[in-house]
Amino acid sequence: MEVRGLSKSFKLGTAMIEAVHDVSFTVCKGEFVALLGPSGCGKSTVLNMISTLLAPGGGEILIDGVRAQPNKASPQVGYVFQRDTLFPWRTVAENIGYGLELAGIARAERAERVAACIEQAGLRGFADAYPSSLSGGMRQRVALMRTLVVRPQILLMDEPFGALDTHTKIDMHEVLLRIWDREQQTVLFVTHDLSEALTLADRIIMFSARPGRIKEMFAVDLPRPRDAVTLRETPHYGELFTRIWHSLGEEFIKGRAE
Amino acid sequence: MKRLPSTTLLWQGAICIAILAIWQWGFDLHGRFPNLVPDLLDPYFISKPSEIVNQFLVLGCLKTSLGAWNGWTNGDFGRCMAKFDNNLWTATWVTLRNTFFGFLTGVSSGFVLGLILGRSDRLSAVFQPFITAVNSIPRIALAPIIVLAFGIGDSSKVVTSWIVVVFLVFYNTFAGARSVEPGFVSAARLLGASEWQIARTVIIPSTMAWVFASLTPAISFALIGVIVGEFIGAEHGIGRLIIESEARGEASGMMVAVIILMVVGVILSMLIWRLQTYLLRWQGEQAQ
Repeated sequence: MEVRGLSKSFKLGTAMIEAVHDVSFTVCKGEFVALLGPSGCGKSTVLNMISTLLAPGGGEILIDGVRAQPNKASPQVGYVFQRDTLFPWRTVAENIGYGLELAGIARAERAERVAACIEQAGLRGFADAYPSSLSGGMRQRVALMRTLVVRPQILLMDEPFGALDTHTKIDMHEVLLRIWDREQQTVLFVTHDLSEALTLADRIIMFSARPGRIKEMFAVDLPRPRDAVTLRETPHYGELFTRIWHSLGEEFIKGRAE
Repeated sequence: MKRLPSTTLLWQGAICIAILAIWQWGFDLHGRFPNLVPDLLDPYFISKPSEIVNQFLVLGCLKTSLGAWNGWTNGDFGRCMAKFDNNLWTATWVTLRNTFFGFLTGVSSGFVLGLILGRSDRLSAVFQPFITAVNSIPRIALAPIIVLAFGIGDSSKVVTSWIVVVFLVFYNTFAGARSVEPGFVSAARLLGASEWQIARTVIIPSTMAWVFASLTPAISFALIGVIVGEFIGAEHGIGRLIIESEARGEASGMMVAVIILMVVGVILSMLIWRLQTYLLRWQGEQAQ
């Protein structure tokens, strides 16, 4: 996946605000990349443009060498939202099976794949529950599975665990890492939480405060498979954290000054 | 539903008995305490429970107006039913049937219109002033015109009922279709849904919650529409029964009709409420 010279501006009242300025990067197949930056730096906008939800203001996005068209979602690309967008009128199983239903997959195969996902996400016994009766962490697991059940090769995640408490978040990291270890999707993960980025990613692309542009890239050469809990106790994690934190801190301060 | 504690039931029973007792015997005290007992308690206006029960039996062809029971086996009941063509049973049946059709046509057309206009910015912009104008007419004022146009048969009642219901459901559907969570639409689109699939799997189910919320008032409105239509001109129906009794100065007949309407209204609302609770079960406990 390649992103070239991406920019985007929004109208705010009468003024034009440049949200993203000339962003270019490449993500290799099977790579886990985190987009890190202060809130409002345009990293979600980049993700929305890659997902085709937003039309780019300038530049282009190539997926496997093919240019992405606005509003034509590719079946290879899955998206997990920041807020949970589970359909409240569908049960857990019906939510997860939604993408398969759209694709016209036969009921029997659908049931089988949904059951496998429910198992994988540790949601056994909740297949027929409605989202309104689930906790935040469980809902986000269902949302993750709804995206994964169609086996996308590229997974775009927009602060998917931002609304969860620390403990639930670490649980979700383990679920995600387990799945990713097996399926090896290409992941682009937007977050403002450095420890989350370090736990999950192979590489961190850091954004500057608005207008969002790439400030720095960091390779996260922590050994895999990673354990979301013990990883944080290793000295190398600490080193990386301090180095990136310093750079991130500058952007927070810049963002605040604005 | 939570079970009522027995003291609540006790109180409710006591209030019922008190109302019935005052209704039955209250006016007997008028001569002695003219200032304490209002004129409105006069049975000439509001009848009294014993007379209402008797009138119920007469209008229902169970008794003759002279007080004798109509036999089922000797054919008296059948003869009365045939001779008295707006008897209680026929009247109730006709009113219910027209209410049902008014409700059905009103809900379905209101839903379709609300959905189309709610999802199309251009159409809603074009029709906005017309809808506002028509909506500000008290619908009941149209009833005489409708009866004139459609005659005194069933169709004018269905149309009156429809016109009262359609706007209610239209506005609810419209608001519902406008407020579909954009995140749901995005999520569906990114999972590969076509526009048609989005409409079917996201917009309609999400709007349904609003439509169901309008069904309970819609059924009451449908009944109001039919009754008003029957007031203007009808061959059968509860509304007609009320008008006839009024013309004869029979408060008991009117009261029988009103009580029947109350019972019918409660039953219909309860059925709709059940349906609504079942269909919206996904909203969870707190919403109910």
